[in-house]
Amino acid sequence: MKPTIKSAVATGLALAMLAAGSASAADLKFAPGEGDFNWDSYEALKEMKLDGEQITVFGPWLGPDQVLVESVLAYFAEATGADVKYTGSDSFEQQIMIDAEAGSAPNVAVFPQPGLASDMAKRGFLTALGDDTAAWLTDNYAAGQSWVDLATFQDDKGEEGLFGFFFKVDVKSLVWYSPENFEDAGYEVPESMEELKALTDQIVADGETPWCIGLGSGGATGWPATDWVEDMMLRTQPADVYDQWVSNEIPFNDERVIGAVEEFGYFARNDDYVAGGAGAVSSTDFRDSPKGLFSSPPQCYLHRQASFIPAFFPEDTVVGEDADFFYFPAYAEKDLGKPVLGAGTMFGVTKESKGAMALIEFLKSPIAHEVWMAQEGFLTPFNGVNTELYASDALRGMGDILLNATTFRFDGSDLMPGGVGAGSFWTGMVDYAGGKDATEVTTDIQNSWDALK
Amino acid sequence: MSNIAGTKSSLTWAVHLSLAALVLLWLFPTVGLLVSSFRTSDQIASTGWWKAMVPSEQNLTLRTGGADDQIQKDGNFVIEGNLFGEPGDAVISVWGTSSRAISDYKAGETAELKKGTSVTVQGNGDYVMQSPEEISGKRGQRIFATAKTPPEFTLKNYKYVLFDPSNREGMAKAFFNTLTVTIPATIIPILVAAFAAYALAWMDFPGRALLIAAVVGLLVVPLQLALIPLLKLHNEIGIGKGYLGAWLAHTGFGLPLAIYLLRNYMVGLPRDIIENAKVDGATDFQIFTKIILPLSFPALASFAIFQFLWTWNDLLVALVFLIDSTGDTTVMTKQIVELLGTRGGNWEILATSAFVSIAVPLGVFFAMQKYLVRGLLAGSVK
Repeated sequence: MKPTIKSAVATGLALAMLAAGSASAADLKFAPGEGDFNWDSYEALKEMKLDGEQITVFGPWLGPDQVLVESVLAYFAEATGADVKYTGSDSFEQQIMIDAEAGSAPNVAVFPQPGLASDMAKRGFLTALGDDTAAWLTDNYAAGQSWVDLATFQDDKGEEGLFGFFFKVDVKSLVWYSPENFEDAGYEVPESMEELKALTDQIVADGETPWCIGLGSGGATGWPATDWVEDMMLRTQPADVYDQWVSNEIPFNDERVIGAVEEFGYFARNDDYVAGGAGAVSSTDFRDSPKGLFSSPPQCYLHRQASFIPAFFPEDTVVGEDADFFYFPAYAEKDLGKPVLGAGTMFGVTKESKGAMALIEFLKSPIAHEVWMAQEGFLTPFNGVNTELYASDALRGMGDILLNATTFRFDGSDLMPGGVGAGSFWTGMVDYAGGKDATEVTTDIQNSWDALK
Repeated sequence: MSNIAGTKSSLTWAVHLSLAALVLLWLFPTVGLLVSSFRTSDQIASTGWWKAMVPSEQNLTLRTGGADDQIQKDGNFVIEGNLFGEPGDAVISVWGTSSRAISDYKAGETAELKKGTSVTVQGNGDYVMQSPEEISGKRGQRIFATAKTPPEFTLKNYKYVLFDPSNREGMAKAFFNTLTVTIPATIIPILVAAFAAYALAWMDFPGRALLIAAVVGLLVVPLQLALIPLLKLHNEIGIGKGYLGAWLAHTGFGLPLAIYLLRNYMVGLPRDIIENAKVDGATDFQIFTKIILPLSFPALASFAIFQFLWTWNDLLVALVFLIDSTGDTTVMTKQIVELLGTRGGNWEILATSAFVSIAVPLGVFFAMQKYLVRGLLAGSVK
């Protein structure tokens, strides 16, 4: 009698597993073999046999973003048989430290900024990804070496290595506007910073307000202004000065930096230029400020913000029709090319396992990028993907800005030490927007940087 | 003298008034949250909740039908319809066709557009757009209308939080996980603290006063200090992250207050009863179970409410000791934070989730509230 029960149980289990297997296959967003995806790279993943191995991924994405990243990881799970679990947290920065310190880290962590990963690498919490991965990035990512440099840190023994794999990039040098409002008023999209300034003055002359600027972001209030200053830095100074500024080789209160801060002030500290007046800049939440573009009558006509901002447009706003963007232009008279500011998230291995390393290998396959591209909110510097797959013209347009950039620089505040880039720089910019002198503000920031050394 | 016992103070009305004012003040934010939970995110972003209750004048951007909707009528191309989809209670007073001139026309008037096209908008939103030529453009003409709209509330947020397929499972799981954390984390500290409180109140042993002082001292130690060392300990002894760890942490963090509250209550019980029981030959355990426990019920209940509310609303301890990277052991508070989205803009969901998660603690509070006040006073007033 016993063997039959056992075999019945075994059959039952096998059936249940089959059912589970087919259920997860149905969960794949795009059926393998269909569309212009690189399915060869998907088939190649099946070589990695990871049946039943659990891989935990911890990152900052929540809500709709979490659904997106899970849809990408599902392909890895389906092809290799691994059990991939993603969890997100809004306090990622704090929690990953607690978990790593106490020894209960996830296998893979997704860092929203390199500064934190650098700190963790220095304390020995990250596993190096190896020279192969570094070489792969150099060969396959646009401006590959710069991505490798951004993710190369020292570990606890002082040895340098690649500790992060950039996946998912945001373009920050964008100005959003409503094409129909531009049409009503007869405005043209500006091609240079001079034209942008002229347009700003023209809108004021027409009795309207040109800009919506909001710096509010709870505990992170001020960060949108740091993006402004970085963009202005790239538009007034050569890229190597930007690099020296970010690494503090030139002091924060250098006149060139002050110049960039004042360029931001040109727009943000003029009562006529900003919706609600200059006083409203630091108190307006960055999530609410783009809504002025779509109100009736429009509170403003221009809004400079990164590629993620459409998530905070009013419901039913169609990017490309109700709202559109143009490249935050550079000065025509200064021969600095077309600089682009961006940011990105980085995968790092916090607890080494066969599965964790395999997951990093998965990120090198075009399919990992293409599945997210074909949905929303994803840009990649990987040149092995089919750019036809971008879900919308808007995304492709942002991708083009990324590819046409003569200079690409990473968000400087993310590269500065946490106490500056996520501290005194933010608060300093709030002070500046509130009317404090630029020299005074930058000197304060430099002092806080000195204190950290 | 007006405050002699038995006579009514002439200032009673003042007491009542100020009491009512205080209650209103306390409820004010909650009411705002409640109203917000029935509004859409666009409504929350455009007007305050206090304006949601009365009809309001709003500037709306509406759109006529596109080229696909046109029909030929008497040689003209015509698009007809209603700007609100169907006639509702909203009444348009003035309108315009350009974002620069949103109030050029009164309801019922006709606006001339390019190429001989004209559009007429009625007060209830009905419009007629006519053109001698075929109308092109997939998207319709924008109409900027100033309309008086009645208050509008939606159950969408509650539907999303409670019944949306992408949340339903997670919410239900989080609810039961929270109960799994909360119930043992309430019972264990009460059990331990009751014994300890009895010993500290009625058993004579050297160093008792010092021990009480130490417990009181522990009240002021912030639990954040212990997070990492405690988690390290849990990992070393093999508990790791999980329910057991969360119960132990909640028990540890709750014990000082529990012991302090219960001891103060038990000390206030009449000495005679306990001495009589001792003379009759009762052991300490018998005194504890037969006399002290039944008499301390109000204090036990009031602490139970405290501990229950605190563990129910807790996010920090759960994040550190319970929720591992598999995400299987998520709790309500964590689930709610996740609903806010990566950049935390979904206020309407926050307001709604707050009311969903408030339901259970409110039930517990109303069921046991009479003990709360009794238990609190009993320790302090003799």
